Amino acid sequence: MFKNYLKIALRNLTRNKTFTFLNITGLIVGMVGAMLIGLWVIREVSVDRFHEKGEQIYQAWNRDKVDGEIWCWTSTPKPLAPVLADDFPEIVNYSRYSDAGNLIFKKDNNFLKGNSFFVDSTFLQIFSFPLIEGDINTVLNEPMSVVITEELAQKLFGNDDALNQIVKVENSIELKVTGVLKGLPTVTDFEFEALLPWSLMVQLGYADNSWSNNSVATFLELEKDVDVTALNDKVKNVTKNHSQGSTTEVFLYPLEESYLRDNFVNGKPAGGKIDLVYLFLMIAILIIVIACINFVNLTTARSERRAKEVGIRKLSGAFRGMLISQFLIEAFLLTAFSTIIALILVQLLLPSFNTLIDLELSIPYSQPYFWLGVLVFVVLTGLLAGSYPAFFLSSFKTSQVLKGSFKKIGSHFSPRKILVVSQFTFAIILIASTIIIRQQIKHAQNRTKGYDQSQLIYHNLNDQIEQGFVSFREEALQLKLVQGMSKSMSPITYSTTNSWGMDWEGKDQDNKQLIHRFGTDIKPVELFGLTLVAGRDIDVTKYATDSTAVILNESAAEIMGFDDPIGQTISDGPKYHVVGVVEDFIMGSPFEKVIPLVIESSASWFETFHMKLNPELNTKENIAAIEQLFEKHFPDIPFEYEFVDEAFANQYKEQERFVTLTTLFSSLAVIISCLGLFGLSAFAAEQRSKEIGVRKVLGASVARILILLSSDFLKLILIAIAIATPLTWYLMSEWLQSFEYRTTISAGVFIVASILALGIALLTVIGQTYRTANLNPVKSLKDE
Amino acid sequence: MIKLTDIDKTISSKFQKEFILKGINLEIEEGEFVTIMGPSGAGKSTLLNIIGLLDDASAGQYLLGEEDLTSLSDKRKAKMHKEHFGFVFQAYHLIDELTVYENIETPLLYRNVKSSERKSLVAEILDRFGMVAKKDLFPAQLSGGQQQLVGVARAIIGKPSILLADEPTGNLHSAQSKEIMELFQKLNDEGTTIIQVTHSEDNAKYSKRIIELEDGAIVKDYNSQEAQHA
Repeated sequence: MFKNYLKIALRNLTRNKTFTFLNITGLIVGMVGAMLIGLWVIREVSVDRFHEKGEQIYQAWNRDKVDGEIWCWTSTPKPLAPVLADDFPEIVNYSRYSDAGNLIFKKDNNFLKGNSFFVDSTFLQIFSFPLIEGDINTVLNEPMSVVITEELAQKLFGNDDALNQIVKVENSIELKVTGVLKGLPTVTDFEFEALLPWSLMVQLGYADNSWSNNSVATFLELEKDVDVTALNDKVKNVTKNHSQGSTTEVFLYPLEESYLRDNFVNGKPAGGKIDLVYLFLMIAILIIVIACINFVNLTTARSERRAKEVGIRKLSGAFRGMLISQFLIEAFLLTAFSTIIALILVQLLLPSFNTLIDLELSIPYSQPYFWLGVLVFVVLTGLLAGSYPAFFLSSFKTSQVLKGSFKKIGSHFSPRKILVVSQFTFAIILIASTIIIRQQIKHAQNRTKGYDQSQLIYHNLNDQIEQGFVSFREEALQLKLVQGMSKSMSPITYSTTNSWGMDWEGKDQDNKQLIHRFGTDIKPVELFGLTLVAGRDIDVTKYATDSTAVILNESAAEIMGFDDPIGQTISDGPKYHVVGVVEDFIMGSPFEKVIPLVIESSASWFETFHMKLNPELNTKENIAAIEQLFEKHFPDIPFEYEFVDEAFANQYKEQERFVTLTTLFSSLAVIISCLGLFGLSAFAAEQRSKEIGVRKVLGASVARILILLSSDFLKLILIAIAIATPLTWYLMSEWLQSFEYRTTISAGVFIVASILALGIALLTVIGQTYRTANLNPVKSLKDE
Repeated sequence: MIKLTDIDKTISSKFQKEFILKGINLEIEEGEFVTIMGPSGAGKSTLLNIIGLLDDASAGQYLLGEEDLTSLSDKRKAKMHKEHFGFVFQAYHLIDELTVYENIETPLLYRNVKSSERKSLVAEILDRFGMVAKKDLFPAQLSGGQQQLVGVARAIIGKPSILLADEPTGNLHSAQSKEIMELFQKLNDEGTTIIQVTHSEDNAKYSKRIIELEDGAIVKDYNSQEAQHA
């Protein structure tokens, strides 16, 4: 019996090539989309889930009230971890994790940068980053040691054994390689190439014991089966107990939740990346549903052709259940075949998709769960696509279908119409949302930046550069390579430091508003092209007292509430005096509100320097000349600069990736919907060929017939537009709420989306209809 | 064997009930060869469909032997189809996607006949109908007469006690019609009860009894051989 089903399924598929092609293509396109999303989702939910002690690893978070709202963040004081471990026996191990920056590693004449972190010696015992060489228990014990990844080892030492080799770091200290790590897996949120022992940090004098300097991540390994709620009650006041006047509370949060659910609103977990995971899962399901709707529509549209078969089988003694299983088998066959093709396509497309989303996804062929997933996928899709047609086809009345009184099932309200409407509703929602997301990005991109990004580059500043900086700057200015050069705390694109501890006259002591810091050693207004609204630029060469001068941005001046800010004193450790106020400029995300900012003068510390290139010179040649000069002054340091405008544009990357993905998936949805519409219009045209013949004989023009045939479908698209518009408006308004700086949704979006949907639908339908409308009526009428 | 008592068939339109069959009383004995005749719209096919359980009567009683078939579930109907009825249609109604062999085999599949037995049964009937050489062809590759032969072969392979034929030769030319009718006669001689609907006087001559319908009622019921002699 099964053989018979299989045979007839295969013959049906090969006989009706257009139908099969439309059906399979729709399914494949849908599956490819869903599978790509599926792989990404698998990646996202497996981040940092591979650590053997994963369930026991917790991160310490801080929590405090700022502006009446509870904020949560992960940078913690350095002494927190050892104190917690001492005080609470539930904590069996800890490691701090502190960014040491992109350090220069040098071996002989070979030097390169490596992303480095200071960690406690227990780090590799807590986290499962396997060592290829070295002893996990001792690798980070000695201060003058370093553990590097195999990639960094390969770059530094080539094929030589890296273990026990000496490498010079930042041209100042020599460290022995005590361990080589296997390359980090793609499913981790940690990004280090070198691990430095905490004892080295102590030796270098960076390891302060301040409870108010929140600067490191604190990871804790708890005993198995600890009651974390109870422990959280106990650890809550640790910081308060050690730091007088502090109101900051500590809580422990599981590592396995940290990646997906790192967003807190007013102290309560409020999603995070998991929201995006859910969103794309929904899109994947929608795409599959759209593809299945095609299957249902095309199959039921062809029902007349299969009706006779159903009748005969029933007469031959088939029970309805047997027919249902026959049609389901056909659906499963198609689904299974499509799945195989889709898998092959996904394999082929994966490299491009990876480039697109900047990740390294792969198909986990060797995992049993993957094959189980594929099986479930085939069965679910087969059921989704096959059940309705199976029940529908098997329900035909034998006498009706065999007597020929069985005609079109079409009526005013058929499930097929509902399906087409829902298909296009999804497609239109996706199209309109994509347009809105694009507009939001454009909106942020067009925002006034408040400073001049042109010809502006920045470079890291280390001790060695700092020592030779003045002579390097003087020579560059003398050679007219640059218009200006200044050390600064951070690149101008983002602020790396802030505080709510700054003080000024008249400050309300409950005010915990965060004020960000930026700092330059000379003339920031001139260098960055800021706009002064009061006072003057900082210039230490002109005014001796300017080493303690600050400039405020308008937001900061407003928060501080000065009538006349000039001359006011601000205490941020050292005392500064305000010499100027500048217009707000974007430092940080262009999607957020402008941050209140204090630009401090030379009394602060510096980690970067900016250069304003001479605009009269050719940029490329100019940079080559600067590089030469840099090499002359700092022969052991690679010249690795970045353009400010490029760095700024990088902030849109995540949103742009998001828009690329939504564009991709809405295109898929549209393609699949059109395949279905194409099939349906072909069948409708075929079904109505006699009617059209009669109409033509009676004198209808081709144009009239085109309108007649297309309007049926266009009506459905109009209904879809009516449903999709308010839905999209609601969903996207919610999405826009997540941005401080956001565009408004205009009616234009929906007009464009509607015209697009109608246009595409019309194009799809018109080809088929035109052919039918042009058919010689003699032909279609003779058939009967 | 077949006993219809006061059978009505009505269809309801908005304002009125329309009778297609009205007050049909009919008995057909085992082994009879009956022809139902009458003008278009007289209710011939409806009557045949009711007998074949393809349609339900609106009123009345239908007995097959001792069994009351008046209102059956779909499952019971399918079982009755399997056990008692074979159908032949004017439009042949072969499954286009199956070969001659597979079309004939289909009823056996639903009767759970073993593969080896199926093979011999189909081979036997192909041989009898002289269609062995055509067994792998698809319906579209056959002439009308050949298609109807396959239709008949399929109808009788399950050894039904009653063969129902609705205009079996309506689409065939006279030589082909003759072939089918002779086959029917032979099957009848072997004991199969045959009820056919036809317009053709020539075909009617093969049967022993003719029932004439008009406007949903039986107007004549006579022995055709006797009528010819008279």
